[in-house]
Amino acid sequence: MTTATAPPTQTEPQGLDRRALLIGAGAALAGVAAVPWLRGVMHDSAGVFVARNQRYDGPLAQTIRDGLLATGFEPAGVRGRRVLLKPNLVEPVRSCPQMTTNPAVVVAAAEVFRDWGADVVVGEGPGHMRDTEWALVESGMQEALDDAKLPFADLNYSQLGWVENQGRATTLRGFHFPQQVIEADLIVSMPKMKTHHWVGYTGALKNLYGVIPGIKYGWPKNVLHYAGIPQSIFDINASLPKTVAIVDGILAMEGDGPIMGSAKPMGLIVVGTNSTAVDATLGRIMEFDPAQISYLKLAADRLGPVGEAFIEQRGEPWREVASRFELIDAPQLRGLRPRGALVT
Amino acid sequence: MDYLDTVLRRLAASDLCNYHPGLPAATEPTALAAIALFAHGRDTQAARLADRLLEMQNRDGSVGVDRLDQTPGWATGWSVLAWRASQSSPVFRIEYVQGIDLALQWILDTQGALVEQTDETGHDTTMLGWPWVDGTHSWLEPTAMNYLALRHTNRGGHPRAREAQRLLVNRLLQSGGCNYGNTVVFGQELRPHVQPTGLCLLALGGEQDTTGRIGRAIDYLHGELSDRTTTASMCYGLMGLAAHDALPAESDDWLQAAAGRSLARDASSYHLALLALAALGNDCPLLPPKTAGRSQPALP
Repeated sequence: MTTATAPPTQTEPQGLDRRALLIGAGAALAGVAAVPWLRGVMHDSAGVFVARNQRYDGPLAQTIRDGLLATGFEPAGVRGRRVLLKPNLVEPVRSCPQMTTNPAVVVAAAEVFRDWGADVVVGEGPGHMRDTEWALVESGMQEALDDAKLPFADLNYSQLGWVENQGRATTLRGFHFPQQVIEADLIVSMPKMKTHHWVGYTGALKNLYGVIPGIKYGWPKNVLHYAGIPQSIFDINASLPKTVAIVDGILAMEGDGPIMGSAKPMGLIVVGTNSTAVDATLGRIMEFDPAQISYLKLAADRLGPVGEAFIEQRGEPWREVASRFELIDAPQLRGLRPRGALVT
Repeated sequence: MDYLDTVLRRLAASDLCNYHPGLPAATEPTALAAIALFAHGRDTQAARLADRLLEMQNRDGSVGVDRLDQTPGWATGWSVLAWRASQSSPVFRIEYVQGIDLALQWILDTQGALVEQTDETGHDTTMLGWPWVDGTHSWLEPTAMNYLALRHTNRGGHPRAREAQRLLVNRLLQSGGCNYGNTVVFGQELRPHVQPTGLCLLALGGEQDTTGRIGRAIDYLHGELSDRTTTASMCYGLMGLAAHDALPAESDDWLQAAAGRSLARDASSYHLALLALAALGNDCPLLPPKTAGRSQPALP
């Protein structure tokens, strides 16, 4: 994936397109559809596993193991390989546990991959704070990592490599990724299930903003905002090594997400080997229409399936766990709900 | 200060200053380490780091974020402060002045992209400060860094410096403290963070504020800092309080606790430099000079 192409001398900020910040994904669709290697996944199906009644003090490793196996994950493929677990620690604060991935889920995932013989590292580049140690301590992650003897990679301050942009929904020529990301054989996106006041909701795809190093892109990673949020979500995911998703939906967030929203207990763990399919399923559970979510419009049938007919549901049927996630009242969030009754 | 000797010895022995061991030399840790070593009288070791910064300076005056990356140049202000710290040292070199002049020109030529004011954000997005990356918005921390560099080089009265001062006060939360630079978004006030609050207060040392926000930021840090605060946040927090003559009595004990944790973990030169600077309390060389306030005229 790394190329001999020389990286640009700058981090390539683009002209601010306010419409792109809000929705604006449609214009990029034609260009994206022309990317040859992406055509291979068009109309492929993908499995998504939903587990209910989950607790942070429950047998999460078993749930995650069941979910990965149910969605076609091959454990032998990670034996002796490097697996990077990427939780969301955007701006942890003890009084808002619904904002960030709970350490118990990360430790459980590490247990699963370690049992399968993988070399596991946890990595994150917090988007809103430069003191990564603070993010680890406030989230409870540091204590959990120490207890589990799990190494941590600070993705905001890492040795960097250059990777060509494989998505081309933005005009960014490529990305400066941390070496731990480039060298990973598998990246496990471990987002929080939550609403987002610009794009509706976010999950596994947007969580990978956190592999982008702050030292090159800023805090927040403003270069990506200028390039277009949905477009850069697409491009980052198109340019990364193989990813799978494990979503912390036990204590979720609704309302003014991704930072200031309210807690919404859901008791869910959602697992899948295709992040687009996982995010589409999250949306259905949260009572959104995934086809109206800007970054999923770009990803649909290119990075993975969004249509329900192409997603093989495992575990609990999503309709049985669906619950409306409240949103703030803002123009960019109107029209994201499905028409007519969703849950029967 | 039992810890300080260890911190300084390790820092003086650092040939590469970085955020974590094993990474390339980075500008911010190198500059902070140079400033700290000059302040603690380790001039020879400090000069070696100041020389490294000269080697890393680009022809346009900016200094890239690390030895391998020529951009972005957000850490250029720290380099200015490092070279400036050599001024009363026997190892002072004229090349440092040339580095400062070139860097300041780049700083004054660089600004955040203008953003139209909207109802969604509570702060004034039309104020000009400095971005992390050229061509993007102005953010609080790079603005504070460059404002500090201007104040320390007798340019506190420059129009860019005055606007930076207004931006920093504007980005302070009404309820106290600040974060990366947003205040109110979609009607909700965001949460403050210790590290940017400390840096912002450091840059605003000695400034008059009729809004009361600086006072509330000081109150926020007094309420938030403790012996458990993480190293970088602790150090920036204490330097910010020192800039306003508001250091808590427990600060030495807190620094000792933070140093113990840092030395036991990865002992990054970034953390060691911050510890050495914060340990200087009211004598920290990063505190703005008393004469570099609002009425200071800009030098040509």
